Amino acid sequence: MKIEGSYTVQAPRDAVWQRLMDPASLARALPGCEKLEPNADGSYTAQLNVGVAAIRGNYTGRIEILDAVRPEQYRLKISGKGTGGFLNGEGLIMLAETGPGTTEVRYSGDAQVGGLIASVGQRLMQAAARQIVGEFFQALGREVQSQGG
Amino acid sequence: MATALLGERIKRKEDPRLIQGRGHYVDDIVLPGLLHLAFARSPHAHARIKSVDVTAAQAAPGVVAVYTGADLQGKVGMVPCAAGIEGLKVPEHPCLAVDEVRYVGEPVAVVVANSAYTARDAVEQVEVEYDPLPVVVDPEKALAPGAPRVHSKLADNVAFVAKLEGGDWKALEAEPGIKVIRQRLINQRLAPVAMETRGVVASYSPGEDLLTVWSSTQIPHILKTQLALMSGVEENHCRVIAPEVGGGFGSKLNVYGEEGVACYVSKALGRPVKWIESRRENLQATIHGRDQINDVEVYVRPDGKVAGLKCWIIADLGAYHQLLTPAIPTLTALMIVGAYHIPCVFVETKGVFTNKMATDAYRGAGRPEATYIIERVMDLVAAELNLDPVDVRMKNFPSPKDFPLALPTGVTYDSANYQRTLKKVLKAAGYTKLRKEQERLRKKGRYLGIGLSTYVEICAMGPSSRMPAGGWEFGSVRIEPTGKVTVLSGTSPHGQGEETTFAQIVASGFGIPYEDVTVLHGDTGVVPMGIGTFGSRTTAVGGTAIYLAVERLKKKMARIAAHKLGVKPGELEFKDGKVQTAGGEKAMRFLEVVAEAIFAKQLPPGVEPGLVEQCVFEPANFTFPFGAHLAVVEVDPDTGEVRLRNYYAVDDCGRVLNPMLVDGQIHGGLVQGIGQALWEEHVYDENGQLLTGTLMDYAVPRAHQFPWFETATTETPTRVNPLGAKGVGEAGTIGSTPAIVNAVVDALRPLGVRHIDMPLKPEKIWRVLRSASAA
Amino acid sequence: MIPQSFEYHVPRTLEEASRLAAQFGADGKFLAGGHSLIPMMKLRLAAPKHLIDLTCLRDLAYIREEGEHVRIGALTTHFRIESSALLKEKCPLLPETAREIGDVQVRNRGTIGGNLAHSDPAADWPAAVLALEAELRAVSPRGERGMAAKDFFVDLMTTALASDEVLVEIKVPQLGHGTGAAYAKLHHPASGYAMVGVAAVIALRDNGAVERAAVGITGVGPKAYRAFAVETALHGKPATQAHLNAAAAHAAEGVDVNADLYASAEYRSHLARVYTRRALEAAVKRARAAATA
Repeated sequence: MKIEGSYTVQAPRDAVWQRLMDPASLARALPGCEKLEPNADGSYTAQLNVGVAAIRGNYTGRIEILDAVRPEQYRLKISGKGTGGFLNGEGLIMLAETGPGTTEVRYSGDAQVGGLIASVGQRLMQAAARQIVGEFFQALGREVQSQGG
Repeated sequence: MATALLGERIKRKEDPRLIQGRGHYVDDIVLPGLLHLAFARSPHAHARIKSVDVTAAQAAPGVVAVYTGADLQGKVGMVPCAAGIEGLKVPEHPCLAVDEVRYVGEPVAVVVANSAYTARDAVEQVEVEYDPLPVVVDPEKALAPGAPRVHSKLADNVAFVAKLEGGDWKALEAEPGIKVIRQRLINQRLAPVAMETRGVVASYSPGEDLLTVWSSTQIPHILKTQLALMSGVEENHCRVIAPEVGGGFGSKLNVYGEEGVACYVSKALGRPVKWIESRRENLQATIHGRDQINDVEVYVRPDGKVAGLKCWIIADLGAYHQLLTPAIPTLTALMIVGAYHIPCVFVETKGVFTNKMATDAYRGAGRPEATYIIERVMDLVAAELNLDPVDVRMKNFPSPKDFPLALPTGVTYDSANYQRTLKKVLKAAGYTKLRKEQERLRKKGRYLGIGLSTYVEICAMGPSSRMPAGGWEFGSVRIEPTGKVTVLSGTSPHGQGEETTFAQIVASGFGIPYEDVTVLHGDTGVVPMGIGTFGSRTTAVGGTAIYLAVERLKKKMARIAAHKLGVKPGELEFKDGKVQTAGGEKAMRFLEVVAEAIFAKQLPPGVEPGLVEQCVFEPANFTFPFGAHLAVVEVDPDTGEVRLRNYYAVDDCGRVLNPMLVDGQIHGGLVQGIGQALWEEHVYDENGQLLTGTLMDYAVPRAHQFPWFETATTETPTRVNPLGAKGVGEAGTIGSTPAIVNAVVDALRPLGVRHIDMPLKPEKIWRVLRSASAA
Repeated sequence: MIPQSFEYHVPRTLEEASRLAAQFGADGKFLAGGHSLIPMMKLRLAAPKHLIDLTCLRDLAYIREEGEHVRIGALTTHFRIESSALLKEKCPLLPETAREIGDVQVRNRGTIGGNLAHSDPAADWPAAVLALEAELRAVSPRGERGMAAKDFFVDLMTTALASDEVLVEIKVPQLGHGTGAAYAKLHHPASGYAMVGVAAVIALRDNGAVERAAVGITGVGPKAYRAFAVETALHGKPATQAHLNAAAAHAAEGVDVNADLYASAEYRSHLARVYTRRALEAAVKRARAAATA
């Protein structure tokens, strides 16, 4: 499944970058994040209760940030499994200053979903993925603003 | 009433209990101490199993045991494959995966618990660590050099290559004026979706060393043999019962790993166990149907006479062989010339492993693919030469006088009159008027399409020489002291209605009310031997066994009655509840003869007491039912939606024993065949994930989507069996699919459309319409 | 198909239902007809720990006329709406929509309130209540409130209802003189849900121009929506075929269009335009008939 889109955050690029790299901010912004722990190799172990409305599942996974070019772009690699099956995703996140104090975050990636969600959630999957990604960026935007950019 | 019973429109004996919810299916079997099974299944299409941790599942309250593939290794036999094909590769197929999983839904562990709910919950606590391996989903990619291998122990993904060749190809290829038409046809993967999912109850009694299995199966006797081999319980200590079975369509003509596991667990724990498949499991892990790629080359003369047909079949077998997996596409090759006299044939069939569930028999099993190929070919020829599809068919039909007709494919068609069914369906549909209407509508920008299919299929399976587990069938008839008749059949009807047909055969033979006849089947403890119900064989083969047993009993009864009445046995007939001389001057009531035979006071010398006879009928050949179908569709030019406006079916299944049952079989068959043409498609993504995992995604056809079907029959009896019946269980499915596709392609012909692959989803057609209007 | 275990609650009053919902928060779910929720639970996509069954609140199943409105209790089944003589006369769009839902069994159990509160992106009712500019009324411990249909659908399966709010009534304004309505739908062949479903209400002036157009579209985006661009394009224009065609072209404007195995986003957008045109055509035809009646 291809996931792509963009989201505009009302904050300077550096501030957005910082939040994206900060485990505590990430943990607060990730929808349904119950735990986010940094590992020795720079990756994170995450526990998420994620979904849309009543459709949710518990997932444990690994989040890796690769090839970071501060403050422009990085690759995000996610793998997790849980009650709804498994998910492996990789994508590119790009930050562009589109105006003073305005940052556009563009994301494009490919997610491979397996197990329950893949076989019974086909109809709703894309819309759900979009909504979850949207929630994340909204929360991230709030995060940046509440921390005073 | 009695003697005219055969051929009458009689309501089904089995329906009152079924439609009132009073039948007993596997899930209705409840035994003291019953435990429940649930399977942990692979979410990966291909992966190495690194570890299976069952500690948490095992510790869950109510869980009795958890077994993994490793626990069962060497203790339960492999899932069997009975197909005999030269050079066939048969990979190991354990009931529970051991080191590797090869399709999504493959069972990895089984949880045994005191309730189905507990078992299901605990499945989620089985922790399996997988190491994903490269996945191969597309069978053509699986054939490419260096493709990931489904079975690393095998050199490649090719399970077998079979060739079939006949006729003088050299001469044909050199023939001047011969035209070659090429087309690729894709026959998509389908799910059988029987209304009742699979289910099994296994109960092992250690004291008697007796294994009793209730299974939703079409083949209780074959299953008994196989489960004996898999479980290690001696076969004469095994009993398999097929209770009420809610449909099979071929998907229960099989031996499944879950059945082997159930037997093992019951034996290991000494307690009865039950497993009822969920619909999700049913879509994932019950065999799938079809899934072939067919590249055809048609050699046709300018007048429309098809002189040669070549076809390269790539059959997607899935990851493992089930009971008949590799045999199914070979039936396609066998029937590829259809109802036409085509002297030169070449078919190469390649069976290919992929990371998907196994394909196997689904209503029609290989013949719908053959019929689709040849019936599309006839329309391609008509389009190419600008001939009417009717004329092309008439030109290529053999004459009724040519039968029995030996074909280059190696089969001999028993009897047919293809011209008659085609003429009858054209008349019913008003073909000439329809073509005129089509012309008129085309001028208004409307797309009406008329599609034909003049199929022939292979039924009444079949002579033992051609069937892996034998093709005979067992029947016995016993008359009780009260005059009631008990029939045992080795077939295992599961919705077809043979309790009624068989009762008709027996009642009309004896001249007694058919209410007096009870048919028992599906219990290996009651019926000594049998093959089962599939391949439209139950009436033609199983019914014949019963018919012949009745004839034997009548002979014996006539001897007894003749002795008593002082006449010759040959002078007696069975009529209206009596055994009597032709005019009825001398007569005994049926019940009187029964009493003579059973109480044995004055039997003629050399006659044994009792009235029980059996017969194992071995057919000399298959039968070849045929028919002509005509579909009328209209395509919505705005959206590409296809509306099926009319459907006409004229089928010839030989002698009709009960027109109502024949109608029912045709209606149900049509729905499934049309479903394939328009809606059904089991879809895996490129990672081997099954995307159509629910009935919200997989489009099973429903009654409201169809117009009334106009059905009729012609009767061309077969000489293969004394009943003259050929079989009708699959005809509707086999005949209808190409009629629909031909109709839609015909509708779009003004746009230069030559072929569209199934299912004919509106978006596909919309894209065709759009590119045509852009051109 | 076996769902995860849950606790089942049967409140006797609305207040109790609302209190239970407040108590359980995200772990609780209201149960009405169950024809959306139960399948999701059986598939284990949803696993609420508490089910609060509203079906005992029988007062919530009614259809009645009150002044300029028709009021429908949230627990009214699709079948009762489909077969209601009152609605056939006063608001025929509702029976027309009900007829297109699922199958007979679903319509006998499923309720309009449950359907709206669940807010499946391809459910039929959202299109109708949007086009009819209905008011959706809900009760919570904080009292009763009404929401305009256009504000009710927030996102994929997400409504404006608070978790302790119970949807109690759908209040539908009766269509005035010279007004027509229609629902046009393409069924998904497996689920029966709308691949696209368009409800249109058109009011015509005496001169044949469009006085008011309201169009609700379901099945196309993550949530049902009002096609304001279509409505604006029609406003004040004569209801000619050319204008209807031009207006319908805006049907999927600005929408993140769904894609699934049966329809790509591109095709679904096209369907939205075609079915919008068809709904508009039918609504105009009926509006003209109503004007001359």
